[in-house]
Amino acid sequence: MQQVLVLLNVVVSININQNNQSIISISHSGNPMSMFVCHGAQKPTRTSEEDAAPAVGVSLCDSAPLVWRMQDLRAVRAQGLVGALLGSLPRTPRQNGRLGRPLLLLPEEEGLLRENRKPARPVCLMCGCSQQDWGGAELRQKYEEEERRSFEEQSVLALEDRKSALLRAMTGEYSGAASADDALRRRLQALDQNFTFPQSAMAVQLSTARAGLSYCPEARAFLQACGPTGAEPRCDARYQVFRDLRGRGFYLTSAGKFGGDFLVYPGDPLRFHAHFIAVCVSLDESVCLLDVLAVARLGSNVKKTVLLCSPGPDPGVCYTSLQWSGMI
Amino acid sequence: MSGASGGQKRPPPNWILQHPAYQQMKDLQIEDSAQVHAAFLVYMDLTEVRRWKEVSCVKSSELQVVLLEAREKEGAPTLTILPLPAHQSVTHKSIRHVLDRGFPVLLCAVAADSTLVYQRMTDGLVTPDPPVGPFQDMGRRQHRKRRQQR
Repeated sequence: MQQVLVLLNVVVSININQNNQSIISISHSGNPMSMFVCHGAQKPTRTSEEDAAPAVGVSLCDSAPLVWRMQDLRAVRAQGLVGALLGSLPRTPRQNGRLGRPLLLLPEEEGLLRENRKPARPVCLMCGCSQQDWGGAELRQKYEEEERRSFEEQSVLALEDRKSALLRAMTGEYSGAASADDALRRRLQALDQNFTFPQSAMAVQLSTARAGLSYCPEARAFLQACGPTGAEPRCDARYQVFRDLRGRGFYLTSAGKFGGDFLVYPGDPLRFHAHFIAVCVSLDESVCLLDVLAVARLGSNVKKTVLLCSPGPDPGVCYTSLQWSGMI
Repeated sequence: MSGASGGQKRPPPNWILQHPAYQQMKDLQIEDSAQVHAAFLVYMDLTEVRRWKEVSCVKSSELQVVLLEAREKEGAPTLTILPLPAHQSVTHKSIRHVLDRGFPVLLCAVAADSTLVYQRMTDGLVTPDPPVGPFQDMGRRQHRKRRQQR
């Protein structure tokens, strides 16, 4: 399939090669200027293992748990954990409205993933539980092979482009049929023989589907060594509350914008507004009354109920809802 | 007029200290006098300003505070009111104690200038009221506005 646009003497043509990748080539008067290779919708190749059990590859950057691969993000969302996207989208980088991978998990979400993983798979959450363990040399070889293949494909396509441009130029200018054909044929022959596709004009493919730690064995070993950081008492209260509310089917995200600990949604955040702002305190922690008033007033301004949550002595968490009394 | 008192009028007696309701609260023997004062202010607000019914004071022994019980109108359910000076702190445990009495709880914060703020506290998760309609589909209006601004 070929679509051609002519833009101020610059020809942009889009071809699709056999890997379902679209190659956009821009040429000025027949000379190739640059080419871009864009990904089609590539499905991840390793399917059997991840389908069997929901083990998720989580990479640690300092202490921040990040999820990189698409199948991992899907698995995390399927378990009801939302997280926050951090990266920029490759096609629309200069904006903050829609962000892309990696996904940053809350410490409570990472803790829940650890708890839920099947005991039959004694896998640390750092590596991407893949059996295909590629060393560095193998990976470089594979990359060079792919680059060579891509170069060959691109030179074929560039030649086709040149020929079609020539054809259009020739048939456009000369009206005489016979002379045009001869000249055309000669030109085309010359092109076939002398055309070279320079290496500098080749487009380099950026693979976004292969991210992960599978090709950095040193990094993986390092991350395997350090375990999760120790919990402070507040963290423990937060984790208990998170686990309890998640167990009741609520979705939770961080509530930094509202001065609380979590925002509690009755369903997926893409479909609902939050109902509660959860503030986690321990039962004996004394809170200034002015702070209680402040957070309750904020909650009533944004139509959310403030929840004071404390993990109790019995296995369970007690909740107190703060609402505006309506008495002025 | 009477020279014997020395020309200075004695300050009038503190009406709060003499009020029978205050005397009742004093009899509960709570040490925190600021809290008792706050409780009295809330009592006056409920009885004289809002005219609530059957306002009475009780002592909470676990928390050592004065609590008020009142009904908003005849036939309304009884509420427990916890009056506290605004500069004090409170623990979740003490709030649970008050909630355990079984009635809906109103927390009242009393500021230094006697401003009163009431907050309702309930056990469990209470879904907030949904936003009121009528709802209008914004449609293309927002996009059009943005394009005009550019």
